[in-house]
Parts: sequence; structure tokens; C-alpha cells
Amino acid sequence: MSVRICNIQKTYNSKRVLDIENYHFKENYIYVIRGKNGEGKSTLLNIIAGIEKPDYGEVLYDFKTDCLRYDISMMLQKPYLFNTTVYENIIMGLKYRKINKNEIDKRLKRYCSYFKMGELMNKNAKKLSGGESQRVALLRSAILESKLMLLDEPTSSMDYENTLMAEKLILDMKNKGSTIIMVTHDMSQAKRIGDKIILLEDGRINYD
Amino acid sequence: MASEILPVIFLSLIVSFTSTFIASVIGISAAVPFSIKNFKLKKYILRINEVLMSMPPVLMGLIVYVVLSKEGSLGNYNLLFTPFAMIIAQTLLVMPIVFTLTVSSLSKVSVEIMKNCKVLGAGRFEIFISIINECRMQILSIITTGFGRAISEVGAVMMVGGNIKGHTRVMTTFIAFETGKGNFREAFIIGGILLFISLIVNTLIHCFKGEAE
Repeated sequence: MSVRICNIQKTYNSKRVLDIENYHFKENYIYVIRGKNGEGKSTLLNIIAGIEKPDYGEVLYDFKTDCLRYDISMMLQKPYLFNTTVYENIIMGLKYRKINKNEIDKRLKRYCSYFKMGELMNKNAKKLSGGESQRVALLRSAILESKLMLLDEPTSSMDYENTLMAEKLILDMKNKGSTIIMVTHDMSQAKRIGDKIILLEDGRINYD
Repeated sequence: MASEILPVIFLSLIVSFTSTFIASVIGISAAVPFSIKNFKLKKYILRINEVLMSMPPVLMGLIVYVVLSKEGSLGNYNLLFTPFAMIIAQTLLVMPIVFTLTVSSLSKVSVEIMKNCKVLGAGRFEIFISIINECRMQILSIITTGFGRAISEVGAVMMVGGNIKGHTRVMTTFIAFETGKGNFREAFIIGGILLFISLIVNTLIHCFKGEAE
């Protein structure tokens, strides 16, 4: 899925955090957004995901103003894990999509193999460490196999080994046809997996 | 003695449970979307509900009395001095409590849950259910608070129910009536039962909470 940003502006408490005239995220690319804290990276992802509305402007998905809610998945910067097992958390989005049990099992097997999830599956998600929570949140998002995947600092709390596995997962998602827009502060990670690296400064795209 | 007390206890439970149930369904259903949305009048609606929370029950009784009396807008339904009138009065007393406490308890976490549900593809109803499910412990405590208000309430039910023996007499009006007559023994027995019911309800809630955790 391609995404076009058209004249988007967003202001919080009279501070303009986002002011993008025009930008086109092409289909089946991995875009990495970088920038200092408070430069509007998460706001941009939230607007693309539809969980925040811009003050002005619009987002076009495949040149249309709206898309099916099942076409987009997102991993938020501070993912909220539901007060149930890790297993239930991972398959929650699939349940919303009314995916059948066989398909759920297949996808679980496929995606959980990226991380060592075996012993965690029956644990309450509220009792996980920061890195474990991020793994669950990333899997919960990836397992949906949506056309557009938005990732807000998906590996910030992961150790090196799991970060590499997460990157492998993200690359595999791209190879399956997803468009990925992710935020990271890790420049080496951006170079490793990004097809395009965007720098957000003062709410504007300054470098592409 | 037992033949006199049992219907009083039974009616108390029916009226309190029914009013708490109705107030909770309406209050929580309104509070969940209210806690997520931001709009201009939100602050004022919340302020009004906070005022209603501390509304004197006799004033609520007076308002319901006027509305249900022959000259009132609902006078044709002949509800005054019936258990229905008592349920209406108690529901109106409990609803602002459930609404306000739910909004203040959920205001931060409900937005987080809503965002996470939305990016997973949940629809409005699924988001609503997820918020209630995630916050069930807080909501259960709020419902218990509402029930506490309902079962211990005396002013409004006395006014709109009339404390008619065998018809609208509940435990609190029974205690007030028997105390007035100087029958402290009966009043204390009912008072003890009232306390015992509160103990049972609280114990059940704690058991449920413990199990869920």
C-alpha cells in the first residue's frame, strides 16, 4: 500500500509539531524516520494510522482518502498489553479479523519462531519485561500481515540478539509485500534495514 | 417477626440491585466513550455530574415525587408510592456516582486501550468491550460503591415509596420507623442484617477480584 501525505499540519499547545507539504511513501518499501525527541515522528505515524487527526491536510492510501481498518497495523511507542496471556495478546488482532483457528495456528507457528516465545506464551502479558513486551507487541502487529505496517521504535528495549531477529522479521514482512514505516533512533539499524531514511526536523521532512 | 422482616429484606435487595444494575449499565455505557472523546462541553458535564454525586437524597426524592405525583409529567402512570418509584429515585442517585467515578478512573487508560485496539483493527463495540474487560476491577469497585449508596439510602425512598408496610417498606425506612416508635431491638436487628448484606457483597467482590488476579 502506498501512502501520500498532503499538506499535513498538527499543532499541540500552540506548538506546531508537524508541517509536511507533500510526501509519498511508495509501496513495498521500508521507510525509516529519524529525528530528535518531540519532532513529530510519533504524531506522523499516529496520523497515518488514523488514531490522531491532523489539523489540516489529509492522508491518501493507494490514492484514496480512506482504507479498510484491517489494511493497517501499528506498534505504538508504548504498546499496551492486555491483561491476559501472551498468546491471547498476540492473536487479538486476528480475532478482530475473524480469522479461523487453523490460520491462527499457522501464523503463530510462523511468526513466533522469530523469537523464543515458547515459555512465554501462557504467561500474563502484564508481567513481562520491557524487551519481552516489545517482542509481543511486534508479533501482535506482524501476525496481521497487513498491507501497511507502522512501527514506533519497535526495538528500543530489546537486546542485540532480539533486535536482529526483529529486523529479520521486518525485512520478511517487506518481502511479503508490506509497506513499512518505522521510527528509530538507531542510525545503524536505519542503515541496515531502511530503503529510505527520512529526517524529521521541526515537524518537516528535511532529508530524504 | 420473621414474616414482617423477610419481605422488607427482599424488597430492599430487589430495589437496590435493580437500581444499581440500571444505573451501572447506563452510567458505564456513557462513561466509556465519554472518557475517550474530547469535546468542548466535557468539563462542564463532568462538573454537573460531580454536583449530582453529592446531591442530598431528600432533594432527589422531592424531584421524583413532584414528577410522579398526579400533577407531575409522569403522574398518569401511578408510580408514586410503588417500588418502581423507589427504583427510579435510587437509579438517579447512583447513576452520577457510577458515571463520574468511571470517567475519572478510566480517563487515562481508556485512551491507551482504544489506540491499541484501533491499530489492531477493532471496531467501536470491540474497543468498548476491551476497555470494560481491562478495567473490570475498577468498574466492579465503582459498582460496589453505587450499591452501597443504594442500599443505605433512606430519604428518597421514604418520600417516593411512602414506607407502606408490606408494599414499599425497605430496611432503611424500617429502621427509621421503628426507631421513631422506640423499638430499638427491631431496628438493631435490621441494621445488623443490612451490615451483613454489605459484608457478603464485599466478600463476593473480593473473592472475584482475587480469582481474576
